[in-house]
Amino acid sequence: MKTIAERIKNGVLVENPTFVQVIGMCPTLAVTTAAKNGIGMGLATTAVLIGSNVFISLLRKFIPSKIRIPAYIVIIASFVTLVEFLMQGFVPALYKQLGLFIPLIVVNCIILARAEAYASKNDILTSLFDGLGMGLGFTLALTVIGSVREILGAGQWFGIQIMPSSYQPAIIMILAPGAFFTLGILMAILNYIRNRNTKKA
Amino acid sequence: MKEILKLGLILFIITAVSGGLLGFAYEITKEPIAEQVRLANEEAMVKSFPQGEKFKKIEAEIPEDSNVVEIHAVYKGNVLEGFVVKVLSKGFGGPIEMTVGVSKDGMVQGVSILGHSETPGLGAKAQEDDFLSRYQGKSGILTVVKTGASKDNEIEAISGATITSKAVTDGINEVLDFIENHLDADNF
Repeated sequence: MKTIAERIKNGVLVENPTFVQVIGMCPTLAVTTAAKNGIGMGLATTAVLIGSNVFISLLRKFIPSKIRIPAYIVIIASFVTLVEFLMQGFVPALYKQLGLFIPLIVVNCIILARAEAYASKNDILTSLFDGLGMGLGFTLALTVIGSVREILGAGQWFGIQIMPSSYQPAIIMILAPGAFFTLGILMAILNYIRNRNTKKA
Repeated sequence: MKEILKLGLILFIITAVSGGLLGFAYEITKEPIAEQVRLANEEAMVKSFPQGEKFKKIEAEIPEDSNVVEIHAVYKGNVLEGFVVKVLSKGFGGPIEMTVGVSKDGMVQGVSILGHSETPGLGAKAQEDDFLSRYQGKSGILTVVKTGASKDNEIEAISGATITSKAVTDGINEVLDFIENHLDADNF
């Protein structure tokens, strides 16, 4: 039980993939134009991350280290394609929203990074929760960035108008530069808080 | 040498099992996916021509350089009301697949986006009714303006997504031109 809680806390806070490890930047910057896209992409990535972590941990003794990278890529790509088929067939509304981003999960380095750094060295259960923790951390980060950009750039949150109509949306926030502004400022704030905490301690 | 063979064999097993599983998943999801595509097409057809009661696919000669994909004749009772044309247009992120409903006298009845790869939050807004309704009742050759459409044939672009707006408009212009010059309503 202790390791499970520890893995989840590690993924969400201590080693948050976006704000601390700064990996998987491509989908982070590309899809976070709205909070809903952030959640969708985050959860789809989480599903793939859990699946690939479990399988790679299961096969860790079978896969020789010399060919581990191609083997991981095959496993990850298979999971992504599987998720894509299932979404297309059974949740078409979600697929229509995220269709373009699903293939992008294959090249999301968080998944390969967790396979290489964690799942290939640990047992199945803790790898599963490592995937869950990292996935939730990624989802949280994407949702926060998406929320900031959607609120400032469109005056909405999850598609609902929350800014007064006198507010002129800053379209740059939902364009590419807005992604960099938001990510940079959020990381600066988090680092400031972390530094202050360390000094106190 | 022996090691290379062993590594190759293991990699082969992994890829073969993955391939097999994917083939299996493809077979299982093929039917539901085809069903979803059929439903989406039907829905697009009705949205493009709300007054239509019967949609019938028709064969017509499509010029080689045209992006028109499919033509359906629309009937109300037994009377021909117009056409719904499926067309591909080049958007910002890739092709935009859409259906355009046009009445016999050349007026746009409705537009529906079937598939696109436009930027979420920007170009992707093109599939919302808020934008697509701007085409209702338009005819002739349409042009895109950035702000404040003042003339009848002007369409206001989605802010931040002029290329997508132009692409949708180009597709509609192509359909209008196709119906005007290549389809004879008397034949159907």
